[in-house]
Amino acid sequence: MGHDTAEWVFVAIVIAVLCYVGVDSWIVQKAVEDVPADAEVIKVTGQQWYWSFEHADGTKEISTLHVKKGHAYKFEIYSRDVMHSFNIPDWVVFEDAVPGHTNHAWFAPDQAGTYPIQCREYCGLLHYNMRGSLVVEDDKS
Amino acid sequence: MECTSKQQMKTLIAVSIIALVALALIPQIVHAQLAQQTSAKQYINLRAEVWNEFFRMTTAAFTVGAIVSGTMIWLVWRFRESNPKNKAPTKWEHMDDPTAGSYEEEGH
Repeated sequence: MGHDTAEWVFVAIVIAVLCYVGVDSWIVQKAVEDVPADAEVIKVTGQQWYWSFEHADGTKEISTLHVKKGHAYKFEIYSRDVMHSFNIPDWVVFEDAVPGHTNHAWFAPDQAGTYPIQCREYCGLLHYNMRGSLVVEDDKS
Repeated sequence: MECTSKQQMKTLIAVSIIALVALALIPQIVHAQLAQQTSAKQYINLRAEVWNEFFRMTTAAFTVGAIVSGTMIWLVWRFRESNPKNKAPTKWEHMDDPTAGSYEEEGH
């Protein structure tokens, strides 16, 4: 095997790995960002220093969000004052709350329980205390 | 004749690589399409998808790292001064060596 062939093999392997990384990431990103059509919309508002939630039926909650197991939810996230970041670590929900702009995230909990909600963008003096709870309840209907 | 052989080699390498990438990706594409056809109440597990992707990307990163660092280690080992193979100058070194008598003839 000459130098020429070895170089071609080297270049081909690296290009192949890069192609794999690109296409694979694209497939997964598409799957993860694809919001289910039946997802219920929940408006999430961040403000110094608490989270408030509004369900599709108009029900409002502060700091504690109640959802049902086995349902999909789409969050419409925005901020009233400064930059915040809406994060539910246990469910891989992590999206910035930006004043004047609505961001989106979705999730479908499949386990009942209580999970922490937190702000992941330093937003002022009481940022550390800008916490909430996600309560996933069994769907009895 | 030699040129054709090299062309064939390059084609063979390219086809092999494309085939390997396709084999790695086709199951995922099929899986993604099947997932879209499932009933409305079945959702993908975001945590599993994200962590699986993380581990696949880690594998790719370590593969590239192994190739690059392996090549560098081989280069250093093969072209070290003490390697018996390097006793005789290569044809390129010989050409640039003024004492070899061909330096001025090359027009430098």
